[in-house]
Amino acid sequence: MSSTKPPPSSHAASLPQAPGGLRRPFGGVLHALNRPEWGLVVAIIVVAAITGLVDRQHIYFKDPRASAIDIMRQTAMLGIFSLGAAIVIISGGIDLSCGSVIAFSGTICATLMVLLAPEEMRSGAPLGGWVLFLSMAGTLVVGLLIGSFHAWLITIVGLPPFVATLATLVGLRSFGRAIIETVTVTVYKTPSTQIQLNDVFFLDMTKSVPNRVMLFLILAGLAWLLLSRTVPGRHLYALGGNENAARLSGIRTDRLKWLAYCISAVLSCVAGILYIGDQSVADPQTLGQGYELNAIAASVVGGCSLQGGVGTIPGAVLGALFLRTIIDGVSKMIKTGADVYEGLIVGAVVVVAVAFMQMRGAGRRGKRFFSGGLGIVTILNLAILSGVLTAIFAEKMALNSVRLGISAGAVVLVGLTLVRLMEFQRARRNAQAGFTKEKD
Amino acid sequence: MQRSLRNWWLPVLGWLCLAGCNSSNTSPGVTAAGERRIIILTNGNSPYWDACRTGLQRAEKELKLKEAGLSAILENSQATPQGQLDRLRQFASQTDIAAIGISALDASNVSIANELRELAKKGVKIVTIDSDVDRDKMRDARFAFIGTDNLTGGRELGKCAAGLRPEGGEYVTFVGRTGAQNAIERISGFGEGAGPKFKQADCMPDDTDRTRARENVRNAIKNHPELKVLVGIWSYNAPAIIDVVKELNKRDAFTIVAFDAEFLTIKGMEDGQLDAMVVQNPFRMGYDGVKLMKALVEDDQKTIHALLPNHGQPDGDIYDTGLKVVVPDSGSKLKADMFQKNTQFMKLSEFNKWLADHGLKES
Repeated sequence: MSSTKPPPSSHAASLPQAPGGLRRPFGGVLHALNRPEWGLVVAIIVVAAITGLVDRQHIYFKDPRASAIDIMRQTAMLGIFSLGAAIVIISGGIDLSCGSVIAFSGTICATLMVLLAPEEMRSGAPLGGWVLFLSMAGTLVVGLLIGSFHAWLITIVGLPPFVATLATLVGLRSFGRAIIETVTVTVYKTPSTQIQLNDVFFLDMTKSVPNRVMLFLILAGLAWLLLSRTVPGRHLYALGGNENAARLSGIRTDRLKWLAYCISAVLSCVAGILYIGDQSVADPQTLGQGYELNAIAASVVGGCSLQGGVGTIPGAVLGALFLRTIIDGVSKMIKTGADVYEGLIVGAVVVVAVAFMQMRGAGRRGKRFFSGGLGIVTILNLAILSGVLTAIFAEKMALNSVRLGISAGAVVLVGLTLVRLMEFQRARRNAQAGFTKEKD
Repeated sequence: MQRSLRNWWLPVLGWLCLAGCNSSNTSPGVTAAGERRIIILTNGNSPYWDACRTGLQRAEKELKLKEAGLSAILENSQATPQGQLDRLRQFASQTDIAAIGISALDASNVSIANELRELAKKGVKIVTIDSDVDRDKMRDARFAFIGTDNLTGGRELGKCAAGLRPEGGEYVTFVGRTGAQNAIERISGFGEGAGPKFKQADCMPDDTDRTRARENVRNAIKNHPELKVLVGIWSYNAPAIIDVVKELNKRDAFTIVAFDAEFLTIKGMEDGQLDAMVVQNPFRMGYDGVKLMKALVEDDQKTIHALLPNHGQPDGDIYDTGLKVVVPDSGSKLKADMFQKNTQFMKLSEFNKWLADHGLKES
């Protein structure tokens, strides 16, 4: 994407090496323990523990199995298409079409079922193995075609990935709707905006949480093998890190882009098939709306850099798990009207998680986060935000909202002002040290 | 060549944005030159509107709209006030629109009411179908309302819950958007109809995401140990409730009542997974909506008077398409005399026969 970026790097790619290229003893173990994914593991445990404690029914502690199933049910679904989003992001691209591809692929799968077994679909009779197999296989082939179309738009036409996948984001949902209306009119003589699914085997197979989780883990394992143990996988990192350098090194970047976008589209199609089974209906207008942003959020929380070249599959898996744990936690902690606060809390936690990961590295290098006029405005911003949020939650818990809000705002204001002063002192010390060194 | 191709992306982006803005879903069908259109504009996408479309198409054929130089079309708008407003503005710039029947997504939305008034000034006949505008403040924005009183529907559903569980208990309502007028009225009506023994534990919106609708049911069952009644407010909520209760094997623990008869809801009742449903008549809304709009366009006072004999008097501008309370074929505690006189009480098999007679799969 950019020619000014440093050489390709990834957590998976950078091997722990001693000066002179020799590996340190136990370097692999230390490297593994130092990976950012552990931060996510800790964060997930912390969120689950807080949820278990704050939830007045303590559902997580009393019924951990059912709670885990609840979280995994949606994690597996989000995780499947997040894997594709992560691979595209690592390769330096972006795929905005996941949600629409999910809706479209669900439509295609149901449409194929109608075309292959119209009477069974109408009456609710079993469809038969070959109908299900052909419908699902056909849907995955459509995924390959969508991925290839994206690759063509990006590599041949020269559209930026953002625009190319925006095209399918906008177009596929309407296309799906048109297909359903046309097929239902043709086959049943009555137009319909949805196709209902009744095949018990298909519904049971797709609704089953163990099936979904197993499929997710298999796909994650394959994606991990591809990225970390194969040459094309290493090349995807190189492509994301510095496309020009990768091309000059002899890497066939166009093929790699095709691979990345095809994987993403096919994984979205897998999710689409699962979703229509879960919902027992293919409805292209409502299915998967906004899911592309969830996939990107899971990947970014999992450590993928939107600049490309950085990120791992375990990170994306944990990112999806982290997001779903928070969403589930909010619904357990706030028993009534959780939807009001869900977006706010999830958004805040995502920003904090990503900012924390960014700051962890930057802080070590002595970066100042609250310097200058923008720093002062940010401190005020965060103080007001903390005060308002505290007041809202205090009101919900029937506490003195005004007093608590003002107190929380004041604490944040004082705390961040101190951080600003410390940053200033540190910068001055560093400047003085540099000056002395230069003088010597 | 490559460079010039790369320069395409800006115009393409512009086109995509325009396409995105206009991506409301028009039902198939192209009007012939010179024909004027009668449009029913929905408040979203649901099989409920498929039944309305069937009524519209039946009316188009039986009332010989083509011979009158008219055609009838059902258009789905995005399920947001902005989506509906955009659609109305597009209609305002077209000259072949004869009448619009709109299902108002947000009854008290001033912009939508103003847009309807502007269209009316241009000679477009306006009625509301399924969901009315605020009758206190915006009644003048339309000629009449064709549909069901959602408040009454809610009360009838509440009576179902009270009849099935006389001892009362906690209930949770599941809905797409809590702010939608039909949702507000149905939920409020349910509380009135169910009575003081019932207490609302939560109202859980899902933004029309069916996966989230299922998740909401799971969370409600876990979060509210005293929960006794699950209430589906929008059509797809009932299948979500049925699915999750079946999955958790907790059918005996809950009374399940719901609005509208989606295919999966009907199947759920056949399987003993649903206790009662209150069903509107979107088929008739489509049929009579087109009939009234055609009469307005042609100034056919006889038909207008037949449909709205008391127009001009208080509430004379409301044409009630009626409600049905549907219960399983056997074992239900509900009886016809528990409900209003003009509410049709039906066993499931009778309802299925009614659907088949009208060429419908759901309603």
